[in-house]
Amino acid sequence: MNADEARESLAFSEYARKRARDDMGRPWLALVLLASLSVVSLSLTDAATSPTALFWVFVGPLGAGAIALYAYRRNRSSGIESSPLAYVAITLGLLILAYTAGKIGFAFQVPAAARFGPAFVAAAGYFALAWIERSWMVATISFALLAVTVVIIGFDLSSQQSKALVFGLYGITLLAVGFSLRVARKPVL
Amino acid sequence: MTHPSSALDDTIHQRVRLGILAVLSESRRADFGYLQDVLEVTAGNLSQHLAILEDAGHVQITKAFEDKRSRTWVTVTRKGRAALATEVATMHALLDGIGSGQRP
Repeated sequence: MNADEARESLAFSEYARKRARDDMGRPWLALVLLASLSVVSLSLTDAATSPTALFWVFVGPLGAGAIALYAYRRNRSSGIESSPLAYVAITLGLLILAYTAGKIGFAFQVPAAARFGPAFVAAAGYFALAWIERSWMVATISFALLAVTVVIIGFDLSSQQSKALVFGLYGITLLAVGFSLRVARKPVL
Repeated sequence: MTHPSSALDDTIHQRVRLGILAVLSESRRADFGYLQDVLEVTAGNLSQHLAILEDAGHVQITKAFEDKRSRTWVTVTRKGRAALATEVATMHALLDGIGSGQRP
């Protein structure tokens, strides 16, 4: 095998890999659910025993199941199947960690942790998703959430202000994700 | 001292077979039609390549009836994954050797 053949073979296998990732991965549904759960986790931290909180404890896993089912059916019809387990694990992990981060913050009377905990955990969840999808766009969202966390801590924002900031970021993120996926379907690396 | 190219696996360093393993390594499984579409090969050609990979234990082929039609699903085995990783690393090493002035 000469150098040109080796380069050509490597380029072709890389093309095949990217094509497979593109065809399997359209993260919008997972993103919407992850973002929704993260936002909800904020309310969970304030009122863990409220009916709303209990409602989301059950709806979160059901939502994750819906993602798994959706991914399974779509991939099956397209001819290439990915494992939906990664999405389920991320979504459930995100919900549990965000909830726990908030609770720990209040339990140890460090309300700052309760305010930045869920955003920090959501950032970690997005980062994991970015890795799975090999997507810079999702990684950017993760870094933006991390930046919000730093702002909340650095400027010692109140509970109301930090919620408004995180909610605003989620709104902008979802709009941007929805728009970019409509305009260009291939945000993958 | 052996030449780096001797580490190349004859079974998979062919372009289409490398492509098959690349697609399968990213997914849980892919069907015959999908592979044919991505790799732009004829059905007969793809069948031959898949048979070679299956004989070598790099892929597993399963036929099933789904929605009243026959489907052929292909899955990469652990051995196939390892072989692909080794092959890609070997080719990179070869190219690095060429880049650093070693004779190919």
